[in-house]
Amino acid sequence: MLEAVYRWVDERIDLKGLQAKMLNEPMAGGARYAYVFGSALLFIFIMQAVTGILLMFYYAPTADHAYASTRYIIEKVDFGWFILSYHLWGSSAMVAVMVMHMSQVYLWGAYKKPREMVWLAGLGLFLIVIGFGFTGYLLPWDQRSYWATVIGIEIVGKAPIIGDFLGRFLRGGSVPGAQTLTRFFVIHIMILPAALLAMVGLHLFFFRSAGPAGPFKGTTQELKSKMEYFFPTQVWKDIVVMGLVFVIVCTLAIRFPHQMLEEASPVASGLNPEPEWYFLFLFQLLRDPALSFLFAGQWGEFLGAIALPTIFLLLLVLLPFIDRSPERHILKRPIALTSWLVVLTSIVILTIRAIMFRE
Amino acid sequence: MQPKITAKLLCTDREVGEVSRVIVDPLSKTISHLVVKSDGQESLIAVDGLIASCTEREVRLQCASSALVKTGPFRRNDFVTIDEVEIPHLERHLDVDPGEVLVPLPELEKDLSRRQFFSRFTNVIGAMLALPLIYPVIRYLIYPMYKPFTNAWINLGNLSADRQPPGVPQIYKFAKTVTEGVITRHYEKSHWVLKPTPEQLNQIYPNGNLNFKDDKGDLIWVNQKAADVVVFSGKCPHLGCAYRWRHHKRFGMVFVCPCHLSVYSATGKVLDGPAPRPLDKLPVKVLPGGELEIIDMEFEAGVKEQIRIA
Repeated sequence: MLEAVYRWVDERIDLKGLQAKMLNEPMAGGARYAYVFGSALLFIFIMQAVTGILLMFYYAPTADHAYASTRYIIEKVDFGWFILSYHLWGSSAMVAVMVMHMSQVYLWGAYKKPREMVWLAGLGLFLIVIGFGFTGYLLPWDQRSYWATVIGIEIVGKAPIIGDFLGRFLRGGSVPGAQTLTRFFVIHIMILPAALLAMVGLHLFFFRSAGPAGPFKGTTQELKSKMEYFFPTQVWKDIVVMGLVFVIVCTLAIRFPHQMLEEASPVASGLNPEPEWYFLFLFQLLRDPALSFLFAGQWGEFLGAIALPTIFLLLLVLLPFIDRSPERHILKRPIALTSWLVVLTSIVILTIRAIMFRE
Repeated sequence: MQPKITAKLLCTDREVGEVSRVIVDPLSKTISHLVVKSDGQESLIAVDGLIASCTEREVRLQCASSALVKTGPFRRNDFVTIDEVEIPHLERHLDVDPGEVLVPLPELEKDLSRRQFFSRFTNVIGAMLALPLIYPVIRYLIYPMYKPFTNAWINLGNLSADRQPPGVPQIYKFAKTVTEGVITRHYEKSHWVLKPTPEQLNQIYPNGNLNFKDDKGDLIWVNQKAADVVVFSGKCPHLGCAYRWRHHKRFGMVFVCPCHLSVYSATGKVLDGPAPRPLDKLPVKVLPGGELEIIDMEFEAGVKEQIRIA
């Protein structure tokens, strides 16, 4: 019966051909575990969409009900605590795997000609994921979310010319409140998912068009002799890693379910506001006493919170146009390797210092 | 319908047979092998880099027939057709020569100016649909963003209940009711109240009385320098967190912001950390019964000057 349906559809839209084209992507040098990160990210995103939709069944996106409805999901609804915790740990997994994916592409030299467009669409996805993290953080409307958002929007407001407008736009006024929550909600559940889907489509289209980069060493003859199609070996490796990611996120969600703080309030309290762990390095940059000669005061704040991240992002955008040598072997690209090490080490050191030097 | 294109495979010395199939390398997108038929037998011949010329009738190789590598008889099941593999832009690398496979332009589209008219007018209509929407959409989105300031006096509490000695600040929590859109919320806010000593007053108001203005720039209140009480806005002028009064190992009792660790003295002066300006003073008046009233102004964080935003 199922086969008959398949045949019926195939006759009309060439399903078999489509399937074959999807799966038979030639990969020079064969399948590898090094290539799983993109698929893992797609899997994480799908799970975020599924859990996100489930959360919306009970979440009320207004300032007077957001906190209570989130508590209701955690405390009352069957398995609500799990769905919510999975969504929160999933967002961390997204950022972690994204950094691995970007690092791999960077170290493999896979952003070079003819794959520049793939890299650029990937950077678009990077920004969208950061936006997801920032807007989603506010939605539970507890103290943690409120204060991280207060600071985050103040930082956005420090951008030249458009900063004030952007800050007001996100807040829906001059002070954070009910309008802020509604705005973050619509950005988080409508605008960013639509943008992400479009950008993932472009990313994959560019990727399929340019073809996978393959290993950075080995002669053409060697790579040709080990050539494999995407299916079945790479698909198998991808699914193994997806399973692993799923088990890790589930374990984290079960062992460390999300704990809510008090409802959002502008009153001074004993709370030490902090952003999500992946923003901690930026947070520390602005307050580290060892760096205060650079990042204190109005100008320092602009330098640390706006100028530096913008320059870094601009460098990433320009990377394939600056680094035009066809050499892909990472040990033969000392500048690339050193800059990667410096950036990652600085982020790790600042993150550790942010955790060490709490008030 | 499948036009049959056949050619003879020629080496420098002799004819090898008739080309029956072409094998493409999916990575380099070049012809790697030819399947050649001779005496009813199909065999696979590696030709990568050997093709000297290629016409409708013949494929000429630049080597002798003895140098050819025959990979043995051709087995159809070892291969799939190019329709079943994703090889992007293969058509750019493989030409059917001579001539091309073509699709005719529809009769109506041969009239170029007509075609151009349609393509341009489509854009014009698109713009006509989009442009009138821009202004309403922007107005719609920015509706709550630039509200006028509220200059209402709010009760902060009674000063006579404050047992704090002069010179030491005390937190005052007060209830606030705000309507945003259709949602009316009641929540608590807090500011810091200081009954200053004369030396502290000199530090707090170094330039004498402090003026407060509304959004039109009109003067609405003056904090007299010779005051019994000073109210600091609870919002840290660095990035807007709620700071607190506590002991610091270097400075003693001070205001410390838990976010980016700015440190202020009891008079609001920046002692340490990234803050760009001292704590903000709010307009304050003391009613005869000791009731403390303020205007709950908000100032932009992160800048040197004090800019009122609400």
